[in-house]
Formats: sequence, structure tokens, C-alpha cells
Amino acid sequence: MTAMPRLAAPNGLLIDRNRPVSFTFEGREIQGFHGDTIASALLGADVKVLSRSFKYHRPRGPLTMAGQDANTLVQLPGEPNVLADRTPIRDGLVVKGQNYRGSLEDDRLMILDRFSRFMPVGFYYKTFFKPGLFGGGSWKFWEPKIRAMAGLGVVDLNHPHGYYDKQYLFHDVVVVGGGAAGMSAALKAAEAGADTLLVDENPVLGGALSYARFGPESDGGRSRMQALAARVAAEPRITVMTDASCQGWFADNWLPVIRGKRLYKIRAKAVVVATGSMEQPMVFRHNDLPGVMLGSAAQRLIRHYGVRPGSRAVVAAANSDAYGVALDLMEAGIDVAAIVDLRPEPGDDEVTKAALATGVTVIPGFTPWQTRPGFGMRSIVGVEIARITGEGRAEGEGHSIACDLLCMSTGYSPTAHLLYHSGARLEYDEATAMMAIRRLPDHVFACGSVNGVFDIAAVIQDGERAGWAAACDIGLDAGPEPAAPNRTGAEGQTHPWPIFSHPKGKDFVDFDEDLQVKDILNAMADGYDHVELVKRYSTVGMGPSQGRHSAITTMRLVAKAQGVSPALVGTTTSRPPYQPETFGHLAGRGFEPVRLTPMHHRHLEAGAQMMPAGLWLRPAYYGRKEDREKAIAAEALAVRQNVGIIDVSTLGGLEVRGPDAAEFLNRMYTFAYLKQPVGRARYVLMTDMSGVVTDDGVACRFSDQHFYVTATTSGAQAVYQHMLLMNAQWRLDVDVTNVTASYCGVNIAGPKSREVLARICSDVDLSAEAFPYMAVRTGTVAGIPARLLRVGFVGELGYEIHAPASCGEALWDALMEAGRDFGIRPFGVEAQRLLRLEKGHIIIGQDTDGLTNPVEAAMDWAISRNKPFFVGGRSIAMQEARGITRMLVGFELVDPKAPVPEECHLVVRDGIITGRVTSAVRSPTLGKVVGLAYVARDQSEIGSRFNIKIAGGRMIEAKVVPVPFYDPENKRQEL
Amino acid sequence: MTLQPLDRTRRSFIWRELVAAGARFAEVNGTATAMDFGNPAAEAETARRMGLVDLSPLPRTGYKGRGALDWLRSQGVQVPEENNRALVQPDGSVACRLAPSELLLLGPLDGAPGLVDELDAAWPGPDAGTGAYRVPRPDTNLWFALTGSDADAMFSKICGVDLRTSHFPNLGIAQTQVARLSGIVVRADLGATPVFHLLADCASAGYMLAVLKDAMDEFGGGLVGLAALRELARS
Amino acid sequence: MKLINCPLNGPRNAQEFVCAGEVKLMPDPNACSDTEWTDYVFMENNTAGVVREWWCHVPTAFWFIAERDTVTDTFIRTYPASEVFGARVDFAAPAAKGGGA
Repeated sequence: MTAMPRLAAPNGLLIDRNRPVSFTFEGREIQGFHGDTIASALLGADVKVLSRSFKYHRPRGPLTMAGQDANTLVQLPGEPNVLADRTPIRDGLVVKGQNYRGSLEDDRLMILDRFSRFMPVGFYYKTFFKPGLFGGGSWKFWEPKIRAMAGLGVVDLNHPHGYYDKQYLFHDVVVVGGGAAGMSAALKAAEAGADTLLVDENPVLGGALSYARFGPESDGGRSRMQALAARVAAEPRITVMTDASCQGWFADNWLPVIRGKRLYKIRAKAVVVATGSMEQPMVFRHNDLPGVMLGSAAQRLIRHYGVRPGSRAVVAAANSDAYGVALDLMEAGIDVAAIVDLRPEPGDDEVTKAALATGVTVIPGFTPWQTRPGFGMRSIVGVEIARITGEGRAEGEGHSIACDLLCMSTGYSPTAHLLYHSGARLEYDEATAMMAIRRLPDHVFACGSVNGVFDIAAVIQDGERAGWAAACDIGLDAGPEPAAPNRTGAEGQTHPWPIFSHPKGKDFVDFDEDLQVKDILNAMADGYDHVELVKRYSTVGMGPSQGRHSAITTMRLVAKAQGVSPALVGTTTSRPPYQPETFGHLAGRGFEPVRLTPMHHRHLEAGAQMMPAGLWLRPAYYGRKEDREKAIAAEALAVRQNVGIIDVSTLGGLEVRGPDAAEFLNRMYTFAYLKQPVGRARYVLMTDMSGVVTDDGVACRFSDQHFYVTATTSGAQAVYQHMLLMNAQWRLDVDVTNVTASYCGVNIAGPKSREVLARICSDVDLSAEAFPYMAVRTGTVAGIPARLLRVGFVGELGYEIHAPASCGEALWDALMEAGRDFGIRPFGVEAQRLLRLEKGHIIIGQDTDGLTNPVEAAMDWAISRNKPFFVGGRSIAMQEARGITRMLVGFELVDPKAPVPEECHLVVRDGIITGRVTSAVRSPTLGKVVGLAYVARDQSEIGSRFNIKIAGGRMIEAKVVPVPFYDPENKRQEL
Repeated sequence: MTLQPLDRTRRSFIWRELVAAGARFAEVNGTATAMDFGNPAAEAETARRMGLVDLSPLPRTGYKGRGALDWLRSQGVQVPEENNRALVQPDGSVACRLAPSELLLLGPLDGAPGLVDELDAAWPGPDAGTGAYRVPRPDTNLWFALTGSDADAMFSKICGVDLRTSHFPNLGIAQTQVARLSGIVVRADLGATPVFHLLADCASAGYMLAVLKDAMDEFGGGLVGLAALRELARS
Repeated sequence: MKLINCPLNGPRNAQEFVCAGEVKLMPDPNACSDTEWTDYVFMENNTAGVVREWWCHVPTAFWFIAERDTVTDTFIRTYPASEVFGARVDFAAPAAKGGGA
């Protein structure tokens, strides 16, 4: 399709006529220029239909040309719902329409438009609520069909991840909106010394100055824009960010701004909102068809892109800007058939006078009543006008004016999204028929038309005032307060009732959701009379443009139906984001820390299957996935019969040092530590204030005032924080240092572990007499300084060796080498879990839950009863006094061939749940199934029998047996 | 320069990544340290714009506790007056005051024995009543230096504290989150070149290196050797 | 995102902090009634107005106290815990049991 010639400069501000760009739309090649958006290039090529509406599949074209309506949503490869009037074209871009069956030009689903009376407001609620053909379960049948018909673009699930990232920025003052007000504010703040950021969503600064007329002469906007922009460019304290959308306001002036594929998180000391206002559409029959657009949209097409929006126009007017639109259209060579002014008389301002002087036909006291659709509703061929006889009423229809363009310039609404987010209060102002700011939060300022100032000289003054106020707010000396403008120009900008409902409907309030006047009224008739309820029931304002063009109309309709002022109705709440944003922007680089032990690569080299443990990765077992069971059994066997080695670096480690170290542990843990001998380890069990078990480990006393305390892998950080919180209140003379990552750890376990260690540890007497079970020593292993702990989880002779992390790999290598002759074998978490269960050791969080106290976990041996205090002690005592209702017991299955119960399989007695299994395993060493389970108190005696309900509902019998299951006298670990 | 990381018991937390990047090692502080990646002159240039140096092998220590600062003063350490400020010591080491009860000492770039070793040798242990307790910093934290004129802009992608060199003073300290990990950032410029020392969980060194390389890409930054850093100190 | 003024580190993004709830003074666990103890452990006043809360700056594990207005979500003041907890706390041995550990 050949492009129509563009208008000559200075029109086409944003395009570079020397750089043609070629792309396709619906398979057709389209020519545009660098700087064009998809929408401007299409209109430049006389393509008027960009999309199909959500519900009725009506053809739609650009309404605002400002990225604020859903009429221009198009599909790019891998990216649906792209705003065609914001997205630049590039060579080879493949653009398609959305939401049609067949072709965009001939959408077969447009038949829905004729059945619209069968789809009243609340259609889904009403239709699928009741039983019957369309009710109840039938939603499952209809849902996919409805979703296929009513929808937006298509998500390509195979589209590769894009590279998105984030950046933090810091500025004294951030000004959002780079129009006359914003530039003036930024200049004033920067001149006072503020490091200022000026953000605008358009490619160039200027705002309305870049497209609107601002005076009888053609360059009233442009000349002011150039003057202000030159000053901004020359001001070193202003950073300009264009093509950037400020998506919201969050606490303490935290502004997310999207530009390209980066999300900026900007912290400002003061924020100036200079976001202007949005021109509002009228409501009349067929007000949604291609060719009906805002006056400002036509001006943007002309001045930004040099595109003629039509060839013969009618302008619907209710303010002087409409006459500026008419002048612009005429200067662009467009025949202005008439200005239909909703007011009884045109104004007497300079712009209006200049327009009247051209001799253009002005029809005051009239309104567009309906447009006349062209073929397939893909355009308009004329507009019928009617004489206004009252608010929303008109008569004498039938007077028709031929045109292919209808520009609406009947009023504005402030672009107050960020102000709403910040907690500002706005209220409908009867005098101006617009929302007006009543209160602003601290450190937030507003200026320009968002602040109800429209006169261009006053706008600049208002911007300077806001910039001055922001500078003062952050403590700068910004000089005397600038004079306030003596008139705002807000009155007479906005018509209070540009709504003319038509008996035959198709008078759209919300283009996104295809809602007509009667839908709003019916929602209220159905009982949803609050504006927030009207929104949720009718879905008005819930589409992609989030009520930008429907909220004010809805407020007026609700107010009128209720016979109250719009000020009492208000608008629905505006929330971030301001523009649609992608998950990619929110995700950014997706930082996901991973903690690796020093021996990590040795595990990989040995074929380990790694599993997550908090942020850490730990070997689950060594071998191929298909050999999992065999590998675990062989690893366990090596520990029981020979020697195994496991990486325990992920265990928490805390240094507790100082004169009160023992007293501190006495308070933090249930056991007693004051008299713990130096050189010994003692079990630690932590409870919270409510007496619930939260962590365990061992405390190793290396000197009178020095304990090294271990914690569980997942609990270490919380234990550390909790200790500091408690001592912030107790003020004991003790220091706690988190050395979790500082020390790596390995446990070598098995009958031959002493012989292996002896090969590379000569400065510690490893004999059972000199270094007994639960003793701790310091020494060197293969020349590496180490802490040696004779503790173990697996019930065999064993040593835990804790050494500096940077030496961890060398330590592992040395132990593997020393153990080679003994057939040392690394074992993983899975084998360790099996071995510890054979010993009946509990795992906090697996065998305990969020309510477990130490008594019911059969850990009362770890409670010291005669110390003044420990965290949780009082609560445990109270629970004991009330009576313990469940007990953790060891069990074995009566039938050794029965299946192994799983975690959380229930213990059931006479149909009542009395407990649950927490761990169970078929032990290769013992040749039977053993496990731990909570049971009722009266089921907990040794020899008691109980039933476990396993998957499928089968009951299997278990009996309570003593723990440990393996080596009950603990002889092996004490060798 | 045939020394390899595996030749020593102590190893950098990222020695595999250094080897993969073509590092040439020399012994510093008993550890194989990446001196350069084959082109010292070009690396010095990179370091002026955006470089990453692994200083993990170099000496450092820390003390905390009720009496830590007093004990350090008694040992001749010049302790900064304010929290989150650093002070360069006569031997070139940098004393970082993290809290009223904690100090971190970063050894000088030459890796020579100095204040760090003297303190660690002099520390009388936890039972001496000084109220000063040693923190095993060399094994707790990775230590990377992020150097050059773009380092602050790089940090702004991964750290929520304003580290712009125009706003964050030389010898300032930020204890904060970097790429979602807790970390200590110390600015200690070398000559005219901004240098940020980053100390963070050593177990996450591989993750942190990957994040930093990604964030540096935009600025053409990359790994440089210790030699480049020493070159900055001279210029 | 809110800024919270850490007494040690200055203003930082809220994501660097965790909150541990209201500052509550523990009753004497060896002398108080069961009701007093359970109130202390389980009851939060959920005050609409100014509350004192425990906050921790996670990167430095520094606990401090913040006075916050829960109605406006405004931090009024933050200060080190020593302002409230200035003296060492010791526990008397339970009267009925006696003896140390």
C-alpha cells in the first residue's frame, strides 16, 4: 500500500523523513518513517482499523494517539497487547491485529455486535450462576469458547526470555511530566541547586506544547516548547529521561520508571507531578468507530507525524481548544465541515476569534447525536447532529453532515494517577466540571493542568511555583516565593455533561470493555449502586486503559441516577501500574543466590545428585538417578561396616564468647551449660517463648568463655537473629558471631574412621580414652587448623572436622586420600537420613512441627529443670501441667513385608485421628520397617499397637518399640 | 608463574573461574593469587573503567565485642571516629568501623605481613577479659574489588544504596544488600580511580561473580588481575 | 518502598529489615500467673496508633526499636534498644525449686 504524502515541516516533529521504514501489518507491507509509531504509520498509509473490540468485535482505530486507550492494542511476535500508538516501527517488524476470527477487516465474530442485547451487563454472573444449559457446570463447557471470542492478544509460550534488568537511581527532585509545567518546575528546582530528574513518556519534551496550538498563531506551542527545552538542555543539574513511563508512586517517594527493557527504581526527596490532563471522549451512538478521535489525537497526528487524520472533519467543541483543533485541521488541508459547539455560544478568546475569522461553519447549541458508519463499520461517513434541549437531552435528529473524521474537544480530566497513589485527595469541582486536588501528602507537589491550571502563562508560573516549593522542601534556598498566577483558565475547559445516550445504544462509555450507557444504569438497577460496585459488576474501567476515559462518565452517570453531585460519588481507586508492564520488567535479572560448600565441585566430580537445603546445595547421594536406592544403601552400608565421609559444611556455626557465654546458652537452650567441662560437647535444643522446638545442635566448650554452637542448616540465620534479639534485652556480657560460612565441616563415620583420621592428624591423641565420645579438641588435619568433634548423627564411631572454608577442598582431598586404602566412601543426605533414623535421632522440622514441645518429642531428658530460666521454660511447664496429649514414639511394622508408610500418613484409632507418621524407612541393616510417629499418650507405651492409614486407605499395624532401633546401648558410637 | 591454586591448601573461593579466564597466578599470603590474565597493560586500562579483582586470598581480619575497639586502639590501630567510616593505616591496610563494637581490617594490596598479622598474633584469646573477639574474616567473606569510573553505575543495578562517587564519600562504608546478599561495601580509591571493596558470603562467591560479570557487561568491564590494581595505586 | 532509618546505618529500603513485633516487657516467668504469661506470649495489642516495635537491619543483624504509627504507617522515631533495655537482666531461681544449674 502506498503511503500518502506527509504534511510538510514543522509538522512531523518526531519523524525523520530521510529514514523510511518498512514493516508489515496483517501481512501487508506498510511504509513509514523513523520515529513513527505503528499507529501513525498505519494512519499515514490510510489504514484506519487497528483492532477489534473486546466483546462485540467492532472495528476500532486510534482514539488518543497517546498510548492511553485499548483501541490500538496489536500483536507483535511473542508480545501481545502492544500499544500501537506508543511503539515505534522498525524495519521488518511483523504486526498483526488481535481478537478477530477470519481477518481484521472481516471479523466473522462481528456478528456478536448484533446480539449485544442478549449479553446484558453482568452477563456471566447471571447466566452461569443458575443450573441449566448455561448454568452451573456448563461454565466448564463454555469458558474456553468465550475466552477464545472475547480476549486480547496471544501469548507465545515458546518466546525466549528477554534480557530485562533494573537500576536504582537517586535524585533530589523528580519531576514527572515534561510539558510546560514540568519543564518550568525542573528549571526552578535545578536553579535552586537540586539534582533534578525530568521524566516523560514521550520521545521529546514538550507535552501539549508539542502538538496543541496555544494561541491564534500556528506556532504558539512550538515556540514556547523550544524556549523551555533549550533552557532545560543547558541546565547541568537536570537529567532528562524521555520515552520513560513512571508507573506509580510508592511510599517515601519511590518511583518505578520503565524505559526500554530496564525498570528504574528511583528514590526522590521531593516529587513534582506535572502529568497534565487527558482529553475525554464524548458519549453518543457509534462514538467508537474509526474516524472518531479526540481533538488532541488529530493534533498529535498532524504535528508529531505529519499525518492527515482525515479529509473532511467535524469538530465537536466545548472549549477554545476545539477551535485550535479546527485551525490546525484547516492548515493541514483538511476540510472542516462544521464546528458543532455544545455551548450556547462560542467563547470570545483569541483562538476562537481566529477560527471564526476563517468563516468556518459553527453550529452552537448542538451535539453529535450519532455517527453514520461506513461499510463494515470500518469508518464513518458522516455525523448526525441534534439540538441540545437539556442535560444529556437533544432533539431534531436527522441533520447530517458528511465527514470521515469527528474530533471531540469537549473537556479534560487530570492525569492524577500518581497523585492518587501518593494518597492525595481529589474531589469533583462543580465550577470546572473536573476533579480538583484538595490535599497533597508531604514532599509531593503538583503543577500544570493536573493541578487545574490551563492558561499557558499560568501553567509556566505554576510550574515555577512547584519547583520552588520542592526545592524549599528539601532544604534549599530557592529565593522568594514566585507570584501565583492570577487566573487558572480551568473554567470553561470541560463540559459538565458531554453524554448523549441513544435509544438504540452503542453509546459507549468504556471502549475497552464495550460498555454502553445502559450497562452502567442496569448495573445500578441490579443493586450495585456504589461506584466501586458498579465497576466490579459491569467491569467498567477494568480494561487495559483502566478507566482513563470511562471513570468520569461513570461518575456522572451514577451521580445523576442517584440525584446527587458527582462530588459525592467520586471515582474508583487508581492503583499502580500507570501503564501495562511485562513480567520481564518486574523480574529483572531474577537474583537467586546459591550457596556452595568448598567441596561442591568434588561432589560433582564424584557424580553426586545435588539437592537444595535452604540456599545451599547438598549431595543427596552419589550415583546415577536410576541407581538411587542402590547408591543410598551402599553408602549406608559403608558407614556401618567401614568408613564414610559426608560434607556437613552447611550446618550453622555460632561463636558464643564472653564471661556470660555459659549463662547465655543456659537461657537460650533447654539443657544446662554452666558446668559443662571445657573440651566437651553438649546437645542443644532450642524452644521459642511458647515452648515449641525450633532448632538443635551441639555446644562445644573450647574454653571457659568460648562455646562453638552448631545449628541446623535451615535454622542458622534465624537462631543467630533470635540470640541477638534476646540479648538486646538481657544485656549479658557475651558476643555472638555467625561463622556458618567460615567453617566447612566434614563428618567421617564408621568403624575405621579413627584409623583414617590418624593418618593425617598427629597432634591430637585420638584414642578412646584421650578423646572420648562427646569430647572436642583443636588440632591440625593434613596441616589445616581444625576443630574436632566426637559427635555424630549416624551412630558409629566418628569425627566431625570443622576447618576454615578456604581450606575445605584441600581437607576433603586429604581425607579421601587418607581413606583410600580403607575404601572410604562419600555419603549424602539421603543415607544420613536413613542412618539417623535407625538411631532414632529426630530432625527438627521433619519429626517436629509448629506445635511440638520437647516433652512430646520425647526430649524431656534435654530439659534442665533446676535453672532459673530458659526461653520457653514457663510455657513447657504449663503444658506439662495441663497434660501432654501426644508422644513421638519409635515404631516398627508388625508385618515386615507391609509397605513403608510415608510422612504424614495418619495414625487412626476407631475412626479418630490420634497422630501421624513423621519418618519411616525400610532399614537394610535391621531388615525391617522402622519409623517415628506421634501417637496418643495412651498408645505410647513400649509394646502398644496402633494402626497407620496408608495411601489408598489401607490400614497397617505398627507397634511401639524402644529407640534407638540400632545399637540400643550406643556402643558403636562410643568405641 | 607456574603456580596453580591446587598447589596450596588455602584457595580462592572462585579459583576455578579464575583458571577458566586464563589467570596467571603468583603466591600472595600463602595462596595462589590471580596476578593478571595475560595482558597487564590492557587490564590496568580496564581497571580504570570497570574492573573486578579477586582479593579473596589477601590478609584481613576482624574483631568485635564490647571491648574490641579499645583493644584495637591499645594495639596501635587508628580507629575511625564514626561508624561506617574507614581509615587508612600507616601500613596501607584499611580499618573499617562497622559498629561501636566491631572493626574490619583489610590488609594492604601487597599482601605483605603487617597490621593484620600483628593483631592476630597479639590477640590473647576469648578468655583474656579484653572483650575483643576475633572474627575469621578471610574465611567468612569473599573479597572483590570493583574498580573504575563506571563502578558506581554498575553497583546501581544490584545495590539499593546510593554509591555514586559524587554522593558516597571515599572511605565510606555501606553495610547493605548486594544482589540480595548481605554485604559490606567499602570505598577506598586508588589514586584517581574509584575502588569499591565488596565483602560478602564466601559460600555465594560463584553466584556473586556471575551477577557482577553480568552487571559489568554493559560497561565493557571484566576480570583483571591484582597487578592492575597495584598499577592503579601507583598512578 | 518505605525508607527506615536504622540507628546504625541510616535510611535504608524496607527490604533490608525484618520486624519482630511489638516490644513487650516479659513478666517474671517464675512469679506471674498463667494468664499473664500466655498474654505475654500470644497476645498482640494490634494498636491503632503509635506502637513500639522490634526491627532488625538484616545485613548487620542490628536490632533496634522503632516507634511507628500503625494508622499512617509512619516511622516516628528509631533508636538503639539500649534506650529501653539499659541494664542487665537476671532471673531469680524459681522459689519452689531453688539451686542453679
